[in-house]
Amino acid sequence: MNEQHGEYKTPGGKLVVVDLTIAEGRLATAQVSGDFFLYPDETLLSITGALIGMETAIALEEHTVASQITAALPPDAVLLGFTPESVARAVRRALVAEPESEVRK
Amino acid sequence: MTISDSQAEPIRLPDEQTTDSTAKNAAITDRWRNAGWELLPEASLSPVMNVALDEALLQQVGKGLRPPTLRFWGWASQAVILGSFQSVRNEVDELAAREMGVDIVRRMSGGGAMFVQPGATITYSLYAPEDLVRGVSIADSYAAFDSWVVEGFQELGVQAYYAPLNDIASPEGKIGGAAQARRPGMVLHHTTIAYEMSSDEMLRLLRIGREKLSDKGIVSAAKRVSPLRRQTDLPRTEIVAHLIAHFRQRFGLTESVLTAEELASAETLVANKYGTEKWLRSLP
Repeated sequence: MNEQHGEYKTPGGKLVVVDLTIAEGRLATAQVSGDFFLYPDETLLSITGALIGMETAIALEEHTVASQITAALPPDAVLLGFTPESVARAVRRALVAEPESEVRK
Repeated sequence: MTISDSQAEPIRLPDEQTTDSTAKNAAITDRWRNAGWELLPEASLSPVMNVALDEALLQQVGKGLRPPTLRFWGWASQAVILGSFQSVRNEVDELAAREMGVDIVRRMSGGGAMFVQPGATITYSLYAPEDLVRGVSIADSYAAFDSWVVEGFQELGVQAYYAPLNDIASPEGKIGGAAQARRPGMVLHHTTIAYEMSSDEMLRLLRIGREKLSDKGIVSAAKRVSPLRRQTDLPRTEIVAHLIAHFRQRFGLTESVLTAEELASAETLVANKYGTEKWLRSLP
């Protein structure tokens, strides 16, 4: 399975990195990482949970992805240095990037 | 908390801060003065023990078993300390780290990677009940937790100010960075300050990609960090002593020692969490 990697530096904020694998036209796995701040910690699982299983055609629509992430956030979530839109942009970049499982060390 | 990655926020000068934040800071000062702060001075510990102690001491303070505490970190070896949401392979060249004898550990707070070398860095942690920053947003509390350091630097003639979200800056560049972890009712705020810096080694270890620099318009990441040494001839130990004196004068501070229970609890956290591959590679 090929791994897709995308990065987006939130203007004036932090870096968001997305690593995806795709199977049967959907996001099979998703890892969101970066130097952002997120409270409470478990919120990261809500964000990746919103991505996994999403159809790739939908995952390319930044607006839709951002809304789905926002909807999945717990009410007490605080995101500092990035937004659901930053994650959506990194997802899109990962999807349009060349697969890079071979080149990453 | 990253030393490598200065943020791109426009630099905000102190006189642009609102009176609202001044009033908030005054309220915080009052609460902090009556909090009974204790000091844990620098003690040389392994990097993994340092990050484990942060969680152990946060729990102690959170449970009311220890008063609010200021701890200065001592480093037994050089290390890359990753933020809790960072991917190992995206941030650090593990082969270079092995060759250079640099440990890689993951801390409990978010933010960016930092490269620490014994004698070249000043790192401290504040463990506080959430009450001490009640009514202050998480974002605003970053500046509140570091205001005594900014003042301490200014007294030493270092032109320092806070650059939100989490940087201590000078007109020449970033001096240090902070990160916070929160648990119900408790806050860990820790900050790393560059005293001296080996840019070549840092650039060999940390992957600083083009995307990270995309809104900076500068080529060299190392240039954006301005270690204290560039602004003062004072030895590192004297700067630490001054910061401690300033904290004591402002809020009160009593010397303290790590208890056997606290050390044992940190050692357990090393064995079960911070020293494990599972934790280090929780985001591979």
